Amino acid sequence: MALRDAAVVGYAETKIVEKSDRDVWEIGAEILATLLDKTGFEKGEIDGLILSSSMTGASNAFWSQTTADQLGLELDFCQTVDVGGSSPTGALARAAAALDAGLATTVFCLYADTQVAENNSRQRSFHGEWAAPLGYLGPPAAFGLLSKRYEHQYGLDYRALGKLAVAQRNHALLNDNACEKLRKPITVDDYINSRMIADPIRLLDSVMVCDGGSGLLVTTRKRAKQKGLSKFVVPIGFGERTNFRAAENIVDVTESGHSVAGKRAFAMAGIGPHDVASFHPYDDFIIAIMLQLEMLGFCKHGQGCDFIKETDFAHTGNLPLNTGGGQISAGQAGLAGGGTNLIEAVRQLFGEGGKRQVSNTKNAVVTGIGGIPYGRNWATSVVMILSPDA
Amino acid sequence: MSAPSSKLLNDTLTVKREAPKPRSFSKPYWDATREKKLLIQYCRKTGQYQFFPRATSLFTGRPSDLEWREVSGNGKIFTYTIARRARDPFQGHEPFFIATVTLDVGVNVLGNVVNCATDEMRVGLKVKPFWAPLPNGTHLLMFEPDRGAAKS
Repeated sequence: MALRDAAVVGYAETKIVEKSDRDVWEIGAEILATLLDKTGFEKGEIDGLILSSSMTGASNAFWSQTTADQLGLELDFCQTVDVGGSSPTGALARAAAALDAGLATTVFCLYADTQVAENNSRQRSFHGEWAAPLGYLGPPAAFGLLSKRYEHQYGLDYRALGKLAVAQRNHALLNDNACEKLRKPITVDDYINSRMIADPIRLLDSVMVCDGGSGLLVTTRKRAKQKGLSKFVVPIGFGERTNFRAAENIVDVTESGHSVAGKRAFAMAGIGPHDVASFHPYDDFIIAIMLQLEMLGFCKHGQGCDFIKETDFAHTGNLPLNTGGGQISAGQAGLAGGGTNLIEAVRQLFGEGGKRQVSNTKNAVVTGIGGIPYGRNWATSVVMILSPDA
Repeated sequence: MSAPSSKLLNDTLTVKREAPKPRSFSKPYWDATREKKLLIQYCRKTGQYQFFPRATSLFTGRPSDLEWREVSGNGKIFTYTIARRARDPFQGHEPFFIATVTLDVGVNVLGNVVNCATDEMRVGLKVKPFWAPLPNGTHLLMFEPDRGAAKS
């Protein structure tokens, strides 16, 4: 299968900081240099560049070209992926597609954003006309609306959600790249007692926007082997869905495109949810993790809280969850934040998880969530299944 | 008609909102709000309403299938949240309601809910339109409990 012909030969990640004093291109340069050091590739061998969305780059309609110029890259394939938080994982899928089509041989996927230090976005969307006049604060309000509806349909056990928050926080304590401000232990009671932002969304449900970057070097498996690289990671399944149920007026916000994307990714990979060795879901709000557990079929829809209560999400547990802390406990590097979940999955499959290394490295599942639409949950859902070179 | 037993949540009616700038295809909606009329796009081909206004039918992909129809704006709370943090110009007006309302004609609409107490708010609560004036003579669609309506 075509997707499997791609090989992630290296990964890189900066520390996530509350506010960067370094330019976004300086972060990009560090990611590039680290990848060259780790893989032995020369800069001149890179002929593809795929960037994630970036709030810092959002005012530049020529973002990928400009960034390529800044980094001295001469390319046959150059683009930015603009599906929000889904774009880092989406970029890896597009890299595999470009390699498979013969449009490039070695692709640098760069996910860098300094949204706190330099937010250049002025988004043209429904927001100005239909949401801003309500005092609608974007994601927290959207997830408040989603949570209340979920609670109405199925009931919500907030202590179960708190268990997810604590599991991720424990992992951030073991991750030196996590934002220092967040590297303090929390309890389920701390979660329950944290202040309300948009009922029933609490502070400890929510991601903190930060600055940072990450990246991958992707080439063909054939080329990786020619290079004598013994360790690399292969995407074996992928699914993506944008505007799930676009032509429906009353959308059940407790369901997402992950139901469709997940089925496709699992079918492509030839495995099911019960075979998942570690799970790295996109986490902007805690309830999004539970919804994705349901949508991917780890449990039935509406039974997420029960599943959480009977599952051990520690890196030593039966379903290791966001073993670097996820974005909620490591910090969200703007629109590059999905890279945090993705890089951690790759790191685990390289066996370089250190103190938080999982024992089962047969595979890892990564997801993305991108964009907050009107009266729905999110715009783009992606699911990717990774495996060490098989 | 029973009054709520607890204090009403903030209504944001004194927030200095700017009137949104309509797009070429949403102008009929905003024009109608000058007379507190709610116009919604209706797809003739499929017999369905859609909200918010789009440049084309969500169902057929053809703009020519759309027409504007006036609707009552009555509906029920689909879900809601209480905004406890807000940016300018809403800062200092928290907490206030933001709800998704399912209109009787079968579309979900986001809006603030006014004249409503926390213990009265619930999914399924019947609401009716409340029009908040905007500086340019148009109105913003909000909702308030329809206490005269039969209990659901």
